[in-house]
Amino acid sequence: MLFNSNRNDAVIFIIAVLAVAACVLCAGIDVTCAQGAFGVGRAPHFAPPDEGGLLGWVLTKQAAYYRDFSGMIRASKTNGTAVYALLGLSFTYGIFHAAGPGHGKAVISSYLIANGETWRRGIALSFASALIQALAAVVIVGIFAAILGGTAATMTQAARAVEIASYCLIVAVGLRLCWMKGRGFLMELHGYNSAKLPDYTSHHDHFGHADGAVACARDHDHHHDHHPIHAHEHAVCSGCGHAHGPQPQLLSGPGGWRRGVGAILAVGLRPCSGAILLLVFALAQGLFWLGVVSTFVMGIGTALTVAAIATFAVAAGSVARRLAGLRSGIGGVALRGLELGASLVVVLFGLLLLMGYMATERLFGA
Amino acid sequence: MRYADASFASRILLALAVALFASAGSAHAHPHVWVTMKSEVIYAQDGSVTGIRHAWSFDDMFSTYALQGIEHKKNGVYTREELAPLAETNVTSLKEYDYFNYARIEGKKRKDAFNDPVDYWLDYTDAVLTLHFTLPLKAPVRTRDLEIDVYDPEYFIDFEFDEKDPVKLVSAPAQCTVDLVRPTDAVPSVQRLNKSFQVSEAFAGMGSHFANKILMRCP
Repeated sequence: MLFNSNRNDAVIFIIAVLAVAACVLCAGIDVTCAQGAFGVGRAPHFAPPDEGGLLGWVLTKQAAYYRDFSGMIRASKTNGTAVYALLGLSFTYGIFHAAGPGHGKAVISSYLIANGETWRRGIALSFASALIQALAAVVIVGIFAAILGGTAATMTQAARAVEIASYCLIVAVGLRLCWMKGRGFLMELHGYNSAKLPDYTSHHDHFGHADGAVACARDHDHHHDHHPIHAHEHAVCSGCGHAHGPQPQLLSGPGGWRRGVGAILAVGLRPCSGAILLLVFALAQGLFWLGVVSTFVMGIGTALTVAAIATFAVAAGSVARRLAGLRSGIGGVALRGLELGASLVVVLFGLLLLMGYMATERLFGA
Repeated sequence: MRYADASFASRILLALAVALFASAGSAHAHPHVWVTMKSEVIYAQDGSVTGIRHAWSFDDMFSTYALQGIEHKKNGVYTREELAPLAETNVTSLKEYDYFNYARIEGKKRKDAFNDPVDYWLDYTDAVLTLHFTLPLKAPVRTRDLEIDVYDPEYFIDFEFDEKDPVKLVSAPAQCTVDLVRPTDAVPSVQRLNKSFQVSEAFAGMGSHFANKILMRCP
């Protein structure tokens, strides 16, 4: 029954299953890491426990790589080739490290789904936030340790202040999304109720209204007070951020970048404590510049992983949109519901981070 | 639209929501600080345990990090006095985390078992920073079966017993014994220091897979 429909339907179905599987896998990485904290990836010198599997292996690798940093930085003082080894290590570590929790994967993914962003924007957001994150670590260590000669305690406080600001920004970005998507949802619901599910036979591929389509949403206000949505929404919104096919005007130009800046800063400001430790260590060895280069190389590695996951999220989101689009009325409501849900998730992440339940960075003492 | 009924679409949405929500349960990816411990369990004359003395040595990178900006007269040398404010900060900060020490008396977890640390100082030798401190039990414990677990529930810090010299009993009655369970011990093989101890007992009521367990037994 599932596959005796036309070929396109079958293809969509398979893509949907794959996308959801991918998404669950992404979440699984986080979840298993949480459990991993209780049993896997202990130290580099023994095999990962069975329960860890691939993820245990990732954690074990990370720990092993991380522990290699200090030795390699020391070696770089006298051995030029150790520098290349260090940069290679930084890159690989970045890739592995971002596969674990943190680094804004969840926030970025939710943000992209809520906004129905393009995969290109997803990748751009991932890279921008990872590089901002590297920059944040360099600035904090550069100012407080290298210039002011402050203690680890001072740096920890500075990092914490930036971290809190970053979490507040996540909440703010999430609330803004909720406001916009909540209105869209209510309008859609209203339209659906008024229309009492009229039987539309033509389906518009109208998924993918980007945040850039705020102006679009505003247009909607005027148009569908009591009308079913889909018939004219497409007309009103043509060119307003359909998720398929990246549109240049969404990626650049007025409002293109500005619109993502909040999200980039929210995710990227929080410095990675691993990078801070590495930078201070490099500074103490008189190789601060090498620490800086290494941090940025690490950021590129991190960005690659986050971008891959963001791309999955975008794919899963657009499949959901496509499916919702196949069903007028209730489908539109479900679509707006998805966007609102993803916006709420962003707020939730921000609040949880702020409340310290997920306090991902903690440097005790010092 | 045979398959694309509302229930299927909503299942997709649900799966997405669950996936996103589940990823909220994040923890640390991996430890950033490594501690090698040497511990001493201190007994009173009457055979009760009064506290535990720890020496925690930090890894290379964290040792350097902790020393950043600490004033010292001689290059590469930090005296105990120069490190005193840092030791104070360490000990004060650790309180929030119960000093990563968790006591179990006859299998029951005790909250607030320890008083604030005494006799604490930092020592810097061979590029390794070591925090020494003694955790007194609020009331001396005289029991057949006392367990002290050392671990960071968030696994930001990796604790590991010293290979050669992990745990000592100080002025313990002759019949008292100590066993160690390292998190690296694959279940159910326990690192045996003493043959008089049953493996199954060591794992009774075990909560955390990565705790370092010090198991003290007196008849």
